[in-house]
Amino acid sequence: MVDIPHSSKDIEGMLRDLTNTLMNMIEKWDEVVFIGIRSGGLLVAENVVRLLEARIGKHIPLGALDIALYRDDLSRMRFYPEVRSTDIPFSVDDKAIILVDDVLHTGRSVRAAIDHIVDLGRPRRIYLMVLFDRSGREFPIQADFVGKTIDLPAEKIIKLEASEDERSIIDIVISEVKR
Amino acid sequence: MSWPYKDLIAIQDLKADEINTILDMTASFKEISRRDIKKVPALRGKTVVLLFYEPSTRTRLSFELAAKRLSADTTALSASGSSFSKGETIMDAAYNVMAMAPDCIVIRYPYAGIPRKMAELLPCSVINAGDGYHEHPTQALLDMYSMKEHFGRIEGLKVAIVGDIMHSRVARSNVYGLRKLGAQVVLVAPKTLLPPGIETWDVEVSTKLDPVLPEADVVMMLRVQRERLHQQFFSGEREYSFFYGLNRARVEKMKPDAVIMHPGPMNRGVEITHDAADSARSIILDQVENGVAIRMTLLYLSLGGSINVD
Repeated sequence: MVDIPHSSKDIEGMLRDLTNTLMNMIEKWDEVVFIGIRSGGLLVAENVVRLLEARIGKHIPLGALDIALYRDDLSRMRFYPEVRSTDIPFSVDDKAIILVDDVLHTGRSVRAAIDHIVDLGRPRRIYLMVLFDRSGREFPIQADFVGKTIDLPAEKIIKLEASEDERSIIDIVISEVKR
Repeated sequence: MSWPYKDLIAIQDLKADEINTILDMTASFKEISRRDIKKVPALRGKTVVLLFYEPSTRTRLSFELAAKRLSADTTALSASGSSFSKGETIMDAAYNVMAMAPDCIVIRYPYAGIPRKMAELLPCSVINAGDGYHEHPTQALLDMYSMKEHFGRIEGLKVAIVGDIMHSRVARSNVYGLRKLGAQVVLVAPKTLLPPGIETWDVEVSTKLDPVLPEADVVMMLRVQRERLHQQFFSGEREYSFFYGLNRARVEKMKPDAVIMHPGPMNRGVEITHDAADSARSIILDQVENGVAIRMTLLYLSLGGSINVD
């Protein structure tokens, strides 16, 4: 069985490690903005931003991205996914964006997210941060910041479980894909 | 929630929670039209055909922009300038269009029932853009969205719909939708412009406008449909304007936070004066903006939910 953290303490530790890596890598915070992919990526982004703000003592802009309209499998689906809102309260032009998702698997969500972001403007660069990097890539996409690399069989899915106030991550759940 | 319909023919067919699903999703689609790049790839590869057997500016443009902003391909045909005017029956025309494999047909027709018939017989999605005196569902949805956007709610609002109720599919669709969402509706018109059987509608009716104004949250003026008034329903436009036109004096009688709506096109000087149409209370242009967003939502839902499984 793969080594997945389940206690809030372990998850907190992963988020703290990610924050440390970012602190070491990024020198100028003025142009850095975070964009989380709904809904798991947004949850991770909110937690990391909270930790970073406490460390550097200033506000870091955070936006939410809904990629439903950018998915490449819409024409194969029996029902289209629910469209939630993209809410990015700042211009992405010339920014260094840290794009956040919970799990990097096939790379298709990230492809959709990047397409969505470039429709909003022209960022200076986009970094990718994920809590879990799992094998099974179908697109040539890799993450810049990774919480943990794991190896899971294709039929398994990994999901974050949020606390009731939807502020923190309380568990990581692995389940089977429904066929 | 998955969307169970391939077509949208009438507000009467929808349940309250389905109307709310449409309204809730629409803000996300509205945001797209405010971007520099007003296009998302959601309906790439889909074809939307617009068949308009009656003149239309707003509705047709709005549907066309909505489809294009979702990356669908669109073609618009109007009755004049096509072989529709050569005597081909509507169902022959529909089968011929269907043979070219569209994914959605948006139809406006001068008589009630044709969109429903097409929806039953054709495998593609059919969206009613107005059929006779029956319904104009997308107009009512954009009106309800505009009210909800302004007031934050629909339930408990009092909506006055003023004018030619008899010939208005906009009024009918709004009555059905607003009642389902818990708004009160008052229809205001001279007796000659109230349809027979109105007493069976679940609404208040008034033949006088002035007493209604101080209690309405929304005053929705309908266009005097000159093209449908073959018979004399009132003595003249000036008399109509005197009794039922919204002018500055009447705007001042409205509740302080009440708004003015109009589905367009306006006959300025008949049912509405410049003062009223251009006043700060008017949300008429918001309605137009919201029309594109509502139609994006409906195209997305209709084209996505075509196969019902489980």
